[in-house]
Amino acid sequence: MSQGTIAPPQAEAQSQPPGRGLRTKRQSAAGRRKLHQREVRGAWTLLSPYMVLLLIGGIIPIFYAVYTALQRPATPVQPEGGFGGISSFVTVFSDFRFWQTFGNIFSVLIVWLPIMMLGIVGLALLVHASPGRFGNTMRFLYYIPGALAGIANLVLWVYLLNPAQSPIAGLWNVMGLDTIKAVVATDGNLPFILAGMLFFQGIGTWIVVVNGGLNGIPDEVLEAASIDGANAWHTAWHVKLPIIRPWIGYAALMNLAYGFQLFLEPQLLDQVSSNALPDQTTPTQLGYAFAFSNYNFPAAAAMSLILLVITLGIGLLIVFRSGLFGEEEK
Amino acid sequence: MKTSTPRHRRVLKGAAGIGVALTMLAVTACSGGGSTGGGADAQTDSGGAITVWVDPPRVPAADAFKKAHPEIDVTVNQIDGTVGGKSVQQQFAQFDQAGKGWPDAIFFPSNDDIAWATSSQSNYAADLTDIMADTIEGYDPAVLSMCNFDDKIRCLRNDAAPDVFWYNKKFFDENGYTVPTTWEEYSELAVKIAAEHPGKISGFTGDAYAPDRYLWASGCPTNDRKSETEVHINLSDEKCTRAQDLLATMYDGKALSTLGIFDADAATVGPDMVMSPGALWWGDYLFNQTWKIPAGEMSAVAPLAFDGDSKPSAGNEGGGLWGMSSHIKGKQLENAKIFMKFVATDPAWQVDLSTGLPGYGPVQDAWIEKQKSANYFADNDTTFAAFKEAASAVPGDHSYMLYNTGGIWTETMAPSLVSGNSFDDAWKKFSDELVNQAKTFGYTITEK
Repeated sequence: MSQGTIAPPQAEAQSQPPGRGLRTKRQSAAGRRKLHQREVRGAWTLLSPYMVLLLIGGIIPIFYAVYTALQRPATPVQPEGGFGGISSFVTVFSDFRFWQTFGNIFSVLIVWLPIMMLGIVGLALLVHASPGRFGNTMRFLYYIPGALAGIANLVLWVYLLNPAQSPIAGLWNVMGLDTIKAVVATDGNLPFILAGMLFFQGIGTWIVVVNGGLNGIPDEVLEAASIDGANAWHTAWHVKLPIIRPWIGYAALMNLAYGFQLFLEPQLLDQVSSNALPDQTTPTQLGYAFAFSNYNFPAAAAMSLILLVITLGIGLLIVFRSGLFGEEEK
Repeated sequence: MKTSTPRHRRVLKGAAGIGVALTMLAVTACSGGGSTGGGADAQTDSGGAITVWVDPPRVPAADAFKKAHPEIDVTVNQIDGTVGGKSVQQQFAQFDQAGKGWPDAIFFPSNDDIAWATSSQSNYAADLTDIMADTIEGYDPAVLSMCNFDDKIRCLRNDAAPDVFWYNKKFFDENGYTVPTTWEEYSELAVKIAAEHPGKISGFTGDAYAPDRYLWASGCPTNDRKSETEVHINLSDEKCTRAQDLLATMYDGKALSTLGIFDADAATVGPDMVMSPGALWWGDYLFNQTWKIPAGEMSAVAPLAFDGDSKPSAGNEGGGLWGMSSHIKGKQLENAKIFMKFVATDPAWQVDLSTGLPGYGPVQDAWIEKQKSANYFADNDTTFAAFKEAASAVPGDHSYMLYNTGGIWTETMAPSLVSGNSFDDAWKKFSDELVNQAKTFGYTITEK
């Protein structure tokens, strides 16, 4: 279970070689164009394997989803499918579970995102403030839960959540919960359980990413701060935090997008609690149900396009507002 | 100086942005599919080789078939046997899209699967009425009623699974209780026992079979199929409210567990169950093998009757269904029929290996003789007599539908009850969800 699919962006602002502006000034306009063309060609060459995968795994399926969403499903009344216009979107929006699933996602996000962001930033700052072996060891330890494969992680969680086996059975008993069904299905527990699962699974990777941002801060800046009398706390709060703000925004938005795609965790928790959770807790589960329970592939395609619009919006926000792609917003 | 114009860069960045977001959605977008109706008309013939899908408990049936028919080339695939699971349905939806790939015969992991397998979108399950008439003749029509869709038999029953009334004879004898004969007596006694022996329970409400056990038995219209597109659902019907009152009384009297019979946690509570309606396969599978209740304690009697009803009524829990592909012909079809007949009727599977009472009438007595010899039940004769009688007590106006009543029950009742809500609140949630789900499948709901 990877935490999103984009590699962390490089710190362009810091990696700009000094004196580049002077060199380009001396070059002729023709030379500049030639250089530019070479850069563009190089960029496309490096991108091409990715573009092929994007085409097969992203763009073609999206166009197919658009095509499918405009069809009409075969029903017992009308066994022949055909062009259906926007009727599949009407089906999705008017489904009684549609808003519920988004409500469920929001209740998870409200619990999870703040904890996640505080955890990422706090732990990354701590790791960065502890140079040497200790910091490296801690960074590795934080990373371990995320490196476990998704299923192994879930089995661990089932073990934690089951009062009959759990090392934290005392906590469940104090709350009056004596079976795994009671733990998972009692009103209001699910957002916290999902938040816990997502937190431990994702935090390590994001500490490494934000730590990368912190490592990009030039030593001179930190030295200057300490000469000015800043202690570790001042440095973290007034110097490091403002500089890594784009990384924090990036982490927040990527995690937000990830939250909208929750599928595996509620699906499997449902199974271990003897089907005591709704089969359609999240929007992706609802899409799955449209396709494979209701035999309504157009509605499933419409549902995925709705999710596409949401995550596309978040993706564009990352690119244009986080300040990580390109330098002129700085 | 910049190396490119601002406009150019904006375009590049836009492309990058779209790329980023598209990748994030690649997984979700993959769920889009085609929209053609299933049930391709062209039937194919492999020349005789067949592929069958069985859940893990039915693997011995397929193995026995291989042994009995070495001349038939058969590929056995073991599938996910989770009751209420969606993976088989998902695969079939994809076969329907592709127009190929179906197995030639299948044991459906959930009985509800027969609903989509006979729907006009999928139309997987072949009409067996004429092509397997001689086999169908051996069945009590009550046992095959769940295979009957618009007067066509679309599946064969592996085992009959009507409910009988189970009780712990040792406990009853020691404490001088009388075994109830009506549902009302059952509920009164359950509350009394729970008060006199705290911790002793008289039923489970948390599994997908619970509505079959109580609502189906009561004749409550949850699955009263009128046609492929019309269903009669009315949870305020008197036949529903009497079951609701019964359950609420027992629940308030602390006589019911919110666990389900299959929950791992039920194994610790199970031995405290002193009585309950339950399928005949509970005897060996639950009491003996899973809950390890010692021999000579549990026993069954005939199903209970409701006050004022002349005859007893019982639910039905499972009793698996075999289906055959409608997409094959020729030698492949002939071999698939041989397979279907074998697993439904042959003593090598039905008597020697199967744990449930055979659905096929002529082999029932042989199975009963074999099971009797284990001497597990407190009153062997009464128990097995009850087994044979029970099938006729199951109300027939109950079909498996595209919505999963058991699943809706577990995901509404269980969370509501464990959260401390009243039984009637939980019931309301169940009833709303049932109607909503039925509508999403396109059913027109009638209340009469």
